[in-house]
Amino acid sequence: MSIVDKLLEIDQRIIYAILFIALAFPILNPVILPMSIQSYSQQAFDFSDNIPEGSIVLFEGGLTAATYPQGGPGMVVQIYHMLTKGVKVIFFSIGTEQTVWTMTAIDTALAKLPAGTPAENGVNWVHLGYIAGGEAGVGSLVNDIRATVQADYFNTPIDDIPLLEGVNDATSLSAVLWWGGSEASIGYGVRQVSVPFDVPMTGMCTTNEVPNFSPYISAGQLQGLFGGVRGSAEYEYLLGLPGPALGQAMATNFGGLLWMIMVILGNVLYFIKKMGGEA
Amino acid sequence: MDAEILGLIAGSLVSLGAYSVLIGDNPISRITENIYMGILGGYFFAQNWDFISKNALGKVANGEYVYIIAIILSLMLLGRLKPEYLWISRYPVVFTVGVGLGLSVRTTVMADFVGQIQATLLPWNSLNNIVMIIGTCLTAAYFIFTTQKSGLYNYVHTGGRVFLLCAFGVAYGQTVSFRLELVIGRLVAMLDPRVSMYTYAFLVIIAAILIYGYKTDKIVWYKGR
Repeated sequence: MSIVDKLLEIDQRIIYAILFIALAFPILNPVILPMSIQSYSQQAFDFSDNIPEGSIVLFEGGLTAATYPQGGPGMVVQIYHMLTKGVKVIFFSIGTEQTVWTMTAIDTALAKLPAGTPAENGVNWVHLGYIAGGEAGVGSLVNDIRATVQADYFNTPIDDIPLLEGVNDATSLSAVLWWGGSEASIGYGVRQVSVPFDVPMTGMCTTNEVPNFSPYISAGQLQGLFGGVRGSAEYEYLLGLPGPALGQAMATNFGGLLWMIMVILGNVLYFIKKMGGEA
Repeated sequence: MDAEILGLIAGSLVSLGAYSVLIGDNPISRITENIYMGILGGYFFAQNWDFISKNALGKVANGEYVYIIAIILSLMLLGRLKPEYLWISRYPVVFTVGVGLGLSVRTTVMADFVGQIQATLLPWNSLNNIVMIIGTCLTAAYFIFTTQKSGLYNYVHTGGRVFLLCAFGVAYGQTVSFRLELVIGRLVAMLDPRVSMYTYAFLVIIAAILIYGYKTDKIVWYKGR
């Protein structure tokens, strides 16, 4: 068996081991390389930065245990950004697990806030918790909050929450910030809130879903999009709040580079074999 | 030891167990999968029950009897548990699908159809716009199956296929990146300096179990590629 055949028939477990080392190395030895900001992230940041003080925004937290490491740092930074700007935030999740991770992000952001920043639960932010029903649940929530939920995440009755005084539908909202992760739910926000109520919206999704939602940006239905860990890293960078996403983005670069080398190598070896008349 | 550290340690053990499937199917990975499914099922049920009790049972108790319909529909879903009562569960499913479809269709025309067509009506003043317009038209033309693939249309068809292949390439690249990010997310948690010693210890224990299993033929070595 020639060296070309041996390389083409390599045990996949060896590739996994090489990949594991390539990914673990930059995590154990963090290196921050210069990075450019993608236009979608810049647009989303600029939009968020221009939300006026005192506005009320709807925030869907759709990250899970799998996607929180990618989107969580960005979500934390966005919550920090909104609260330091004096924007009031209504959180909710359309998944059960996501509710807990949204609370984790809120707690992390609250711990980072500068002393004296108003961030009182029920006044500056409220977490409505899990809303069942997927897109139908979102439609119900933005049309009539009180008919959809009785109490928030902490079991406080909706009518006892100062932030929600006079707020019962999407007409009171200035923006929607949709951290959908891998839920593929950004379309829910566009269809149920952004288009019918004419409320501007930004989104976050995992890297693989960026091509699915980028048409919404071209159509002006999304004001920007943070994609995966890179989107989170860019938000951290743009807000000047370096965090874990920047280090992870570098590890993704290493992994992506290795993957690209393997794809090119595989193709080159295949053509060498083909030219030798073996294929 | 606080809850966060305990969670990281448990996550580290479960992640290593799950990743051990890369070596080949083995009892550790199967135990991990079953634990995960069990916990997720229980948690999912508890959260949904909490939602129903707060937002349906609570409302009925407050005199809003219309929510009895929602509770009955929810209970009918349990008909799936016995094959002879499966038909009962179809009614709430039909109702849910109908409501979901109705809600999404009312704005789908604007959000996913008219809006997207408008977004393609761009001035021919930049390379991006030209690629967008030509790419959209050629790709749409690729799916016209009633036209004979010959002459000029042959070039249109090939052009459409090229744009589709480029889009698939982008989607593949993004998917690879997403999968890498998933692994990196776990690695960051597992290699956290507060728990990395546990991770290394678990790695050694799992490796020892697997080596023992393979050496004694209690676990079958996967001989695929």
